[in-house]
Order: sequence, then C-alpha cells, then structure tokens
Amino acid sequence: MAEMIETYKPTDHEAEAASNSYLMSLVVLIMGMPLPIVNLLAGIIFFVGNRKRGYYVRWHCTQAMLSQLSLLFMNSTGFWWTVSIIFSKEQVTSRYIAYIITILIFNLSEFIATIYSAIKTRKGIHVEWWFYSSFTNLICKP
Amino acid sequence: MIKAVLQFAVLVALFFGTWFALGKVNWISIFQIKENTVSLEKKLGELIWKSYSQGEKEEHNPAVYCPIQQVVRRICRDNGIDSDKIQLHVFIKDEINAFTLPDNHIVVFTGLVAASNNEAELAGVIGHEMAHMEKNHVMKKMIKEVGLSVLISITAGKGGETIKQLAKMASSSAYDRDLEKEADITSIDYMLKANINPAPFADFLYRLASDEAKLPSQVEWISTHPDSKERANYILEYAKGKTSTPKPILSTAQWDILKTSVSKTGKH
Repeated sequence: MAEMIETYKPTDHEAEAASNSYLMSLVVLIMGMPLPIVNLLAGIIFFVGNRKRGYYVRWHCTQAMLSQLSLLFMNSTGFWWTVSIIFSKEQVTSRYIAYIITILIFNLSEFIATIYSAIKTRKGIHVEWWFYSSFTNLICKP
Repeated sequence: MIKAVLQFAVLVALFFGTWFALGKVNWISIFQIKENTVSLEKKLGELIWKSYSQGEKEEHNPAVYCPIQQVVRRICRDNGIDSDKIQLHVFIKDEINAFTLPDNHIVVFTGLVAASNNEAELAGVIGHEMAHMEKNHVMKKMIKEVGLSVLISITAGKGGETIKQLAKMASSSAYDRDLEKEADITSIDYMLKANINPAPFADFLYRLASDEAKLPSQVEWISTHPDSKERANYILEYAKGKTSTPKPILSTAQWDILKTSVSKTGKH
C-alpha cells in the first residue's frame, strides 16, 4: 500500500466522509462474513449515496468498494464451498482448508488496510492501495 | 491501464499461488479430521446400535447368517474393502429392508432375503448399503439432518430421546436422490468386480415397485428410495456392455437352505 499526500487539502467534512467509507466497509466486512454479498451491497449503497460529493470522497468510496468486490468473489466461493460440504456429498479436503486459510489471509490484510486507511483519510491524508488505486484512477475522474 | 492490468494479474497470481502453496500442506492430518470423524462415528454407532437393537430379534442361525456374510465378503474381497470392519446383523423381520448405521453396521432383514429370487438380487441391495457405508453417506445424512453440534453433544452423553430419533432416522434408509444414485452405481461397480450379474438387481427393483402397490408397509426399502423404475433403468443403462462372467457365491443347495430357513424363522 503506497501512501501519497496530494496537494489537495480536504475539508474536515470531506475527510470524515472519506474515512467513513472505510469504516463502513470494516463493519460490513465483519457482518458480511457469513453472507459475502452484504459487503458489496453496502459498498454500492455507500458509493451511490456519495456519488455527488467531491472528488476526494468519491475516490475513497470507489477504492473501498472495489476492495469489497474482490473479497466478494473470494468469500462467496468459500461460502458456497462450505455449504456444499455441509449439505452435499462434498468432503473436507486439504485443498478446502487451504482455500479458507487463503481467504482469511486476504480478508485480514484487507481488514488491516481498511483500519489504516480510515485513520489516515480522517486526517486528510490520501492513501492509495496497491492495484485498487490504479483501478480507481481509471474509473473515478475529477 | 496496463499498470492496472499487470497489478491485477499479480494479485490473482498471488491469490492462487498462496492457495496452491497452502494446498500442499496435509491439513486433514494436522487437524486430525479423519481421526475425529472416525471417533465420532464410532461413538454414535455404539449409541445408535444399542438403541436400535433393543427389542429386535437378531438371527444367529448359521444357515441364514453365513450365506449373507459370504455375499458381503465376496463384495469386500473383490473391491478392496476390509470385511472385518463390517458389523453385519440379520434381523428376523418381515419387512423387505436393509440399511446402514454409523460405524459400519449393516442390517439386513430376513424379509429382504425372502423377497430375493437369487443371490444377485440380494447382493445388489447389500452392495448398495455397502456403498452408503464406504462413501460416508450415513454420517453425511446425520450431519445434514440434525447438525454436527447435536451429534457431538449426543456422544458427550446428552440426549437419550435424540438417540432414539437418530436410530429411527438411520434405519429409515432414506437418503438424498444424488446419494442414492451414487450408491446404486457404486453397487453395480462392486457387483461387476465381484463377478455378480447386476441385471437381477434391476429386476428386483422393478418387481418390488409393483409389489409396493399391494403391500406398501412391507416394502420399506423401496418406499424410502427414489422412483424404483427410474433406478432400474439407469442401473441397466450403466451396466450395459460392462457385464463380467458371473461366478456364483453360494451353491444352489446353500441358497435353497437359506430361503427355507428364512421361511421358517419368518412368516413368509
């Protein structure tokens, strides 16, 4: 994760809104674990709610939503794999356990990055995540 | 754009690389999943068997028990299954039924033997039950029906009434359609490897499907399973062109004695 302090100085209100986008994703990350779609839905709702705000807020909402999107695919696969083990003839294998550990690592990384970003953006510091920031720059224009 | 695509590729590679590397570890052995499952199944098997066998009359007559055991052993021998782990029980009951209980208990009712016209029909049903046992369908069914936490609490000594219900559920011999089909197909594979003609198993299903209309309470094994005619069809379809040279398990005299003994002990 690269950190970049841009020349733009957000207002206190903007910094709070940008920080909230990460806090929101943090809350739904915890809530949404059993039902991964909750993460994305919350991200989309927050994004749509803030689409008319300033560039700084929109940019961070987009970055938070994109990170949720990648987790959605990982967590959904894990969720349905677990369901199929419980309800069908699918067995617990080392491959399954390895997958669960992998998504736990990715979720944990996201969790830490989200807390870090929430704190930094609240202080008005622009935080760019590796990959997600490049993708956010492509779809979020000033 | 190129930067984003490259980073995305690296992220995907990182994810699959982590999964692949972690997949090389034998987590099943680390978490002792097999040992724990076997121990849970063993405890459950003991409790359910104790509950189920109360008040039931077991057939110990060698003329009945031994030929059925021979059928089980032939299937085991030719399919690499350890026959010593199987706890075979023959119950004196008119119902046409056979089922599997946890911890490798296979129960066969004398009614099933009486309804079988030959050893291949009997072997088909026994092979089907052995498939449920080998494919771990019994535990899967129980976990699905009551949940793993309930099963663990039962083995910890809680829930006398639940054990009775579990015993009833296990002996009802009803599984999911997919599991039943898998057991049927596996049974055919067992029979072919053991040089038993699978066609009579399909005939048996056809015949019992028509008998069910007359005596539904007696044809438990059929009424709890998916459509018998459909099963008979896919059994024949699967076995088509795969037949091996049949080698009898029992002599004609042994089969006749078995049938006569069953008629005497039961009311057939």
